[in-house]
Amino acid sequence: MEINTAIVLAILIPTLATVTNLLLRNHPNLRDGTTLLAAIETFALVLWLLNETDGTHSETLHIFSVMPGLDIAFHIEPLGLLFALVASGLWIVTHIYAIGYMRGNKEKNHTRFFACFSFAIAATLGIAFSANMFSLFIFYEVLTLSTYPLVAHKGTRDAKRGARTYLGVLIGTSIGLQLVAIVWTWLVAGTLDFTAGGILEGKIAGPMVMILLALYAFGIGKAALMPFHRWLPAAMVAPTPVSALLHAVAVVKAGVFTMLKVGVYIFGIDFLATTGASEWLMWLAGFSILAASVVAMTKDNLKARLAYSTVSQLSYITLGMALATSMGALGGGMHIAMHAMGKITLFMCAGAIYVATHKTEISDMTGLGKVMPFTFGAFLIGAVSIIGLPPFGGSWSKWLLMVGAADAGQQIMIAILMISSLLNVAYLMPIVGKGFFLAGDAKNKSMKISEAPLLCVLPPVLTAIGCLVLFFLASDLQEFLLPMVAGR
Amino acid sequence: MMMPDQFPPAFVFFVGAIALLLAPQGHARSALTLIIPIIAASILWNMEPGIYDRVEFLGITLELTRVDKLSTVFGLIFCLAAFLGNLFAWHVKDTIQQVAALLYAGSAIGAVFAGDLVTLFIYWEGTAIASVFLIWARRTEGAYHTGLRYLIIQIGSGVILLAGIVLLYRETGSLAFEKMTLGTLATWLIFLAFGIKCAFPLLHNWLQDSYPAATVTGTVILSAFTTKLAVYALARGFPGTELLIYIGAVMTVFPVFFAEIENDLRRVLAYSLNNQLGFMVVGVGIGTEMSLNGTASHAFAHILYKALLFMSVGAVLFRTGTSKASELGGLYRTMPLTTVFCLVGAASISAFPLFSGFVTKSLVLDATAENHYLIVWFMLVFASAGVLSHSGIKIPFFTFFAHDSGKRPKEAPTHMLLAMGATAFLCIFIGVFPEPLYSILPYDVEYHPYTTSHVVGQLQLLLFALLAFCFLMRTGIHPPEIRAINLDSDWIYRRLLPSWISAISVAINAIWSKNLGFWTRKVDALIVRLHKSHGPEGRIAQVWPTGSMVLWIAVLLGATLLVNFV
Amino acid sequence: MANKKKENPESFPWLGRKLLWVDKPGSPLKLVWILAIVCILLGLADFTYNKYGHFSFENVPAFYGIFGFIAFSCVIFGAKALRFLIKRPENFYSPNVVDAEEYPPEELEKVSHDDA
Repeated sequence: MEINTAIVLAILIPTLATVTNLLLRNHPNLRDGTTLLAAIETFALVLWLLNETDGTHSETLHIFSVMPGLDIAFHIEPLGLLFALVASGLWIVTHIYAIGYMRGNKEKNHTRFFACFSFAIAATLGIAFSANMFSLFIFYEVLTLSTYPLVAHKGTRDAKRGARTYLGVLIGTSIGLQLVAIVWTWLVAGTLDFTAGGILEGKIAGPMVMILLALYAFGIGKAALMPFHRWLPAAMVAPTPVSALLHAVAVVKAGVFTMLKVGVYIFGIDFLATTGASEWLMWLAGFSILAASVVAMTKDNLKARLAYSTVSQLSYITLGMALATSMGALGGGMHIAMHAMGKITLFMCAGAIYVATHKTEISDMTGLGKVMPFTFGAFLIGAVSIIGLPPFGGSWSKWLLMVGAADAGQQIMIAILMISSLLNVAYLMPIVGKGFFLAGDAKNKSMKISEAPLLCVLPPVLTAIGCLVLFFLASDLQEFLLPMVAGR
Repeated sequence: MMMPDQFPPAFVFFVGAIALLLAPQGHARSALTLIIPIIAASILWNMEPGIYDRVEFLGITLELTRVDKLSTVFGLIFCLAAFLGNLFAWHVKDTIQQVAALLYAGSAIGAVFAGDLVTLFIYWEGTAIASVFLIWARRTEGAYHTGLRYLIIQIGSGVILLAGIVLLYRETGSLAFEKMTLGTLATWLIFLAFGIKCAFPLLHNWLQDSYPAATVTGTVILSAFTTKLAVYALARGFPGTELLIYIGAVMTVFPVFFAEIENDLRRVLAYSLNNQLGFMVVGVGIGTEMSLNGTASHAFAHILYKALLFMSVGAVLFRTGTSKASELGGLYRTMPLTTVFCLVGAASISAFPLFSGFVTKSLVLDATAENHYLIVWFMLVFASAGVLSHSGIKIPFFTFFAHDSGKRPKEAPTHMLLAMGATAFLCIFIGVFPEPLYSILPYDVEYHPYTTSHVVGQLQLLLFALLAFCFLMRTGIHPPEIRAINLDSDWIYRRLLPSWISAISVAINAIWSKNLGFWTRKVDALIVRLHKSHGPEGRIAQVWPTGSMVLWIAVLLGATLLVNFV
Repeated sequence: MANKKKENPESFPWLGRKLLWVDKPGSPLKLVWILAIVCILLGLADFTYNKYGHFSFENVPAFYGIFGFIAFSCVIFGAKALRFLIKRPENFYSPNVVDAEEYPPEELEKVSHDDA
């Protein structure tokens, strides 16, 4: 098999899964089975690509040109491959979980749900393999549109309002700011190809660098940089598997992935470092990290709390880019994977709790740990990984970010990362502590609660184990990502 | 990753914790918790000095196992403490506590053998996470909140350590866990991180806050590891740092007063623990071979007698449901063995001759005198008399003697008696035959604790102090035991800061909502105006679609031009 | 405990019965006297051997004894003063602390001696 064939297949298979979903709408088991098969195949393809290229394939595959210099094109590079791995790998888990959730929760419109889900994955893989900013932008918009029906899935007024905010912010920022930035980049650089070391050096100077970076940073609304973060909590009305998709697998990861791509391959880390153009972004990211954590502490709704936690954690990745050091960028790249694994665990646990008890507020979850030990155990592991403590994956990306901050001479950023860890403890650990160790209401006892269905519990347990495994794989991951910053 | 060339003793505990989950609940499981420390100790005992288990990771070299005499002596006492603590907890059927105890002990042992700072950090945080479950396992509202406070402070120590490590790594390029000199921000941060876990003055409250909140058995386990790990880290990283002498001296003195008026006996012991740590910190600060030996041996002896005291008070709590001095008294009638073991612990911590404290504390005291720290020496001798007041007298006297509370609890269960008996035996054994302990200390130093002047001087100090106690008791001057709590400096972050924060947040909220209201009105007004002119009824309504299209194209064009020509 | 039922000291463990002596009228005073005599003897003992302290004042006879007595008294008086300043009701920090809570009974084995 050709490498290029594999890339195309990896994007086509989820697209085909969308079609089979629609065709098989009257045979739910067959429909979900084929989708699972597609997920596994996609993951296998990405694994094969990893094995074949080791992340250092530079040949570009042109699909077609819109006009000279504006191509839909794909290529393989370490960061994109990592993102593809995360997205396709977690698709399998999320799909299994979604089956359990949708059925356990008796949600409606399964076919539309799974069809959009698969299409979103296809768009995500398109983003991951995009060889230039133009292709990435196209898939970015496809992803926004394909997830819109998922957010609005419940069809209630709340859901529709949340989905409108979601669509409004994401489309608004991407058309209003990101597109302008892309056009600008194209005009000054004459190309939009992702190139190691960046394409803008020498083409643009002075405060214009800063303005262009701002257009990108705010234009990539999916990275939920404050103040364009509101869509994320608003989208919490969606069913939990969608939240998992948004937070861990696809949407926000696509955002920070784009952010890193722009920082590393459009501007170039060195260019950012020498112009100091990203310093304001670093401060904004730092502010975002702390402010979102503080807001998270005030939220009693579990999913809202996790949403703000995501806003905070995404800014870690933005910070990694804005530090403009190779360690920071590596840390940011690694955090994509570490945060994905941790956050998806938390979301799936939140969903499992909802399926089993129909509880959404943290204050109602007191004492549930005793009856749902696996769910809360997995939650504990996910939380500890998000906080950034050993022996879970999150600790290493945090280490790299801190080393990156030290390289940049930004001791205050180290302090922000430290404080953020403590805030994370303060808003995540109470859920575990109260869940396991305090007696619940008398109401809970009479409700006869037990663990959620197996399909809802097994996936978070698996990803929790994944957090542990990533701790030991961090070194390989770093080596794998290294060409991203060294190949210039 | 590669195969380790020396199986790290810490891994015995981790593997054991997994095995524990698979073992059936009951005696088999309890037995397993005893076997694990024995296996670890035997591995540890047979390790040759050197550095093992080097792992290349993330571009840095981790040294999982660095064996030398300093790490070995701490490793051994940690295994011993884990064994005795688990024996005391034989009856516990709570899986969370059993697993947490093993992971906690394993992390502490792993940290002691860490050859580099990153490995140290990993285990450092490990002790923080694992230990909080021993507090939460009490399963009350108060314990939950206390545990959360404890966790934040412990993790805080860890992240400060991490920040220090990162900065040090970038400054020196080295991650070796060796002697450091205070001076740069990096070393100060590491020092601070150690200091938090070591309960330096003003960083100490977590200790007195959390240990009384843990379970009966949890406190026994907690008392052994965290703080002594910090003492080890200081001894490894900052020996001979003069600042430590003064910090340590203050640490020995101030808890004495708090302990004297504290009602909860487990909190009394926590203050007393703080005071004992002071002696070890002074030993580290002096930094001579003799004083470091003093620190190591005192840590060894201290873990045992402190565990013994926590066990005896724990046994009382287990039988009566309270550990408050005001509620206890006269228990010797029905718990005579516990009484005797408690007295052994009290005598050991007070450093009576023939008990373990005597042969270890005098090393530190003599090192202080030999190096002519007169004021520090006075403080330490003062604190030695102070130890007697709370740990030597208050604990056994108000629990087992004094005013008869009328409580007639049954004697402690057999496994607790065994644990206490074994610990008491070790306390006396070390006191009578100090040589075996001296022989495993980090340095070869000839030292004879049993000289006439030492013995007579110490007996004078203690017995005259005891006489003073009798005098003050009979004259009614001695403060009575009453149900109350005492403020400590944690009042600042538990009352003062929260009240400030809430005041500030109220202010910010007020400003925010006022501002928001102002702008919302503005925007509303604008929309109304626009609606009037551009809305369906407005004048421009007829040409609305074309008009707005033109407007947008103009904006886009303008932007493009701007971009092109700058 | 005036209204408590009459108890039978014979049922106490052997060691507990022996220790009952300390609660006999007059026993505590006897103990104090014994202690005082031992203290005097210890003070006198300082004249019988050559002291070689690190500091010269260590060689003052009964130095440690006097120091111990004074130090202990200081601790008590200091603590009394401190209590005056920082004493608060047991439920001062409630419900965020364990002080005013009962220990959860299911963790304990509260067995009375008589029941056993």
